Amino acid sequence: MKVAVYAVKENRGWSLWISLNLAVDRLWWSGALGGSKGWNSRAVSMVILATSLPLGWAVKLRDSFKSRTSMQAWGNMEWRDYIARELAPEVQEEMATGGRGGWSHNEGSLCQPVLNGWTSIELMEDGHERQENIFGATLDHLSHQEDLERLNLALAAEQLAGALAGRSLLQPELEAMLAEQLPNLSGDWRSTAQLVHLQGRLVLTAGILATTERKDGATAWLSRVAMPWRGFAKRRVLPRCQRCGSVATGHTACAACGLMGCAYCEACLALGRSRACALLLRSAALPAVRCTAGSAPTAARRWGLSAAQAGAVSAALGFLAEPRQRSAGQGPERFLLWAVTGAGKTEMVFPLLEAVLAAGGRALIATPRRDVVLELAPRLAKAFPAETLAVLYGGSPDRWVSGRLTLATTHQLLRFNQGFDLVIIDELDAYPYHNDPMLAYAAGQASKKDGSFLFLSATPPKEMQREANSGRLPHAKVPVRFHGQPLPVPLHLTIIPVRIFLKRGTLPKSLTQVLRRSLAREAQIFLFVSRIAHIAGLIKLLRQSFPEVAIEGTSSQDPARAEKVAAFRSRIISLLVTTTILERGVTVPRSDVFILDADSGLFDEASLVQMAGRAGRSKDDPAGTVVFASPQWSRSQRGAISHIRAMNGNAQRNGYISRKSSL
Amino acid sequence: MNTKSIWLKGLQSLLTSSVPQCLICGKHRQASSQLPSICVNCAAAIPWIVSPRCLKCGRHVGCPDCNRGGETSPIICNRSAVAYNSVMREMLGQYKYRGNERYSALLGLMLDRAYLILKEEREKEQRVQRSSPHSTISSFFQNKRAASGILWQADLLVPVPVSDSQLEERGFNQAERLADVVSQRRGIPQLPLLVRKHHTGKQSFKGRAERLADMKHAFAASPAMIELFPNWLGAMKPMDRPLQIIIIDDIYTTGSTLRACAEVIQQMTEAYRYDVEIYSLTWARS
Repeated sequence: MKVAVYAVKENRGWSLWISLNLAVDRLWWSGALGGSKGWNSRAVSMVILATSLPLGWAVKLRDSFKSRTSMQAWGNMEWRDYIARELAPEVQEEMATGGRGGWSHNEGSLCQPVLNGWTSIELMEDGHERQENIFGATLDHLSHQEDLERLNLALAAEQLAGALAGRSLLQPELEAMLAEQLPNLSGDWRSTAQLVHLQGRLVLTAGILATTERKDGATAWLSRVAMPWRGFAKRRVLPRCQRCGSVATGHTACAACGLMGCAYCEACLALGRSRACALLLRSAALPAVRCTAGSAPTAARRWGLSAAQAGAVSAALGFLAEPRQRSAGQGPERFLLWAVTGAGKTEMVFPLLEAVLAAGGRALIATPRRDVVLELAPRLAKAFPAETLAVLYGGSPDRWVSGRLTLATTHQLLRFNQGFDLVIIDELDAYPYHNDPMLAYAAGQASKKDGSFLFLSATPPKEMQREANSGRLPHAKVPVRFHGQPLPVPLHLTIIPVRIFLKRGTLPKSLTQVLRRSLAREAQIFLFVSRIAHIAGLIKLLRQSFPEVAIEGTSSQDPARAEKVAAFRSRIISLLVTTTILERGVTVPRSDVFILDADSGLFDEASLVQMAGRAGRSKDDPAGTVVFASPQWSRSQRGAISHIRAMNGNAQRNGYISRKSSL
Repeated sequence: MNTKSIWLKGLQSLLTSSVPQCLICGKHRQASSQLPSICVNCAAAIPWIVSPRCLKCGRHVGCPDCNRGGETSPIICNRSAVAYNSVMREMLGQYKYRGNERYSALLGLMLDRAYLILKEEREKEQRVQRSSPHSTISSFFQNKRAASGILWQADLLVPVPVSDSQLEERGFNQAERLADVVSQRRGIPQLPLLVRKHHTGKQSFKGRAERLADMKHAFAASPAMIELFPNWLGAMKPMDRPLQIIIIDDIYTTGSTLRACAEVIQQMTEAYRYDVEIYSLTWARS
């Protein structure tokens, strides 16, 4: 889109603004709209610099603007030179891509009505305009009609500011939201948004802006050592998506701003296209609330927590209540809830949410998978019946509902800006967060600057484990399952690689033996393999060896996956051959786990621990069998086993293991 | 990210082969030879229309609409590159609605194949027409010579326009971008002769009858073309055949859009006393 750009002089000095509707700005700076907000510094002078400039350029002008005293004396020549200087790199780039590129061709008609208070208007010959505010605003001569319109605009601004609190939306998203939630505003939202912007409650910016690369310590040091020829302090300026933080790689001609090289972001296309001339509306930062330290025993009783759970919850509650001095200016504080598989993480989240909501704050739970969102939503709604719960995922009906309690899939985080006091990130090490800087950026944006992050994981990333163990990261461990029994420790079975026995056409005898033992105790069997290609062959061999057993296989490419998992849960299928897609989130009572080719590079320590965590989750059968079957030991297997042993040891020391099984 | 992992990443990028990433599935696989931006697997999944069942509208299956008759169409025939199935719908969605403009070149190349098929068909037909009457021996040789020299080429490509509000929202006109590719590859000029007068809403939500009624007055001659079009006509070499114009769009569903465009183009050329043959070319045929 294109916007207007103007400079105003107040008593403090000059500032530069972009405008979606200049009429609103004229009113504002004449002082006619600010009454209720205690507005007292009216603009002395207003210079309209351009009426339709590509948004990206306008935002750049605004963000790089610094007031100078000499500006008071500037005429149109000086202002024009100033803009030409500031936009020189952009214009040059545009010319290089074949555009006509120039802001100078926007001498539009500037004959807008002179509003009250602006007693002289001077139209500069090339499209600049200067207005002198000589007598100041007098509201006396306003007609009743105009007065009413102003009142309506102010009311609409209140509504819009409320709807946008904590949000980060692109223009089409805003339009969709207004059409659904506030249809009375959807007609002239530009005027309303402009007023909210002038009030300082809404940031108007471009979807993509050129930003200087920030480098963290390690990388900066490395680039100096590894690439000394690049110069010491030379920093690259890269166009970055303001919504998802990725570097924008696409450049195309754009009909909306008229530029030949309008950048767009390819990383977050799925949520609507962010581009250099796309208007991004972000709510201004709000201060976070502080929770009062709750009493953990009460919470434990109310939510039915075990001793281990209650201990961790009390630590987390303490963390939420702690005053935030040490993190001033460094972004939200982090807390790690390190709970073993099957520890009952969800139950532990409830008291924390309750504390934040009770303090008047807003909380968000982000989880990687849609199934988890759908499963958790009714439980949350039941636990907090008085709250509006917004359930967000791709295509959810609640898309624009704003609730104090929000449950979302990770990508939905991109639609928020500093909106939450507590952001809970489930399965931190799972697929979408893992190695995706975009989602890390989104999570960072969603929390208020002085809010808190709570990470939930059974297998935190190594880096975070180190931070926690060295005391740099506040954390609480829940080393035992909710039923108070130790985690099953994996056994190792030495067998030949799957590839080879598939070729031979026979299952290794030792494998059939252990499988037979599991089947004899009527356990449900997860058989994990490293490759989808192995599933079909394996099923064939298994069906030959165990003709009486219901055996199925599933993978990410299986359209009937959901049905097969459901059938496995309800014991219709007793042996399921699968890949790491089922390593998390699936709870099947009375189950045993077999991991073939456990030495495969595709299984890291975290995924081995997660797969092993499928066994023995129910109260009735807490001691499942876990078998790592591989030709050789690997670091991941040893790591996983020692991880599980360490957690069991920790539980034992803390007395969390129930008496009867600790023998 | 620590120092070690950065070094490892650097090393990895040196060691991994430079197999390009497929635009559709995102995997690093061998690129298709015809469509270099996608992999062989994704290229194999494209439902090309190599020989259409309906010679009128280029449909790959039997076509009740064309057999129904009654409607006189100003379009001689339509040809489409692919049949519109769910894979193609996803692809068009990525391009048109998500705005991944990397698809421009890919879809354009696909459209170019449809152009070649149309061209071949026309050349074959002209050959048959010329060689059929009075087949004396002398004229046979003459015809043979003439026939081998037959080259059919369109004179002009005209993209189906989108409305201003859609253009603002989307930032590009997909038909124009597709036409760009064919225009560049085949050296055929492209002129945006038409404008869309009113926004007809999303076609995909409407039934056949509704679409037909909607389309009647949706298009008009572009005001910008009042001078440009006669200039272009004037610059043409005098010909002994009618003008050959191809209308370009992304998808042919009922054909009402293309017919409405063709009617306007016909009026425009008639106004300058030119005979015209109008064809249409779309990326997909539903």
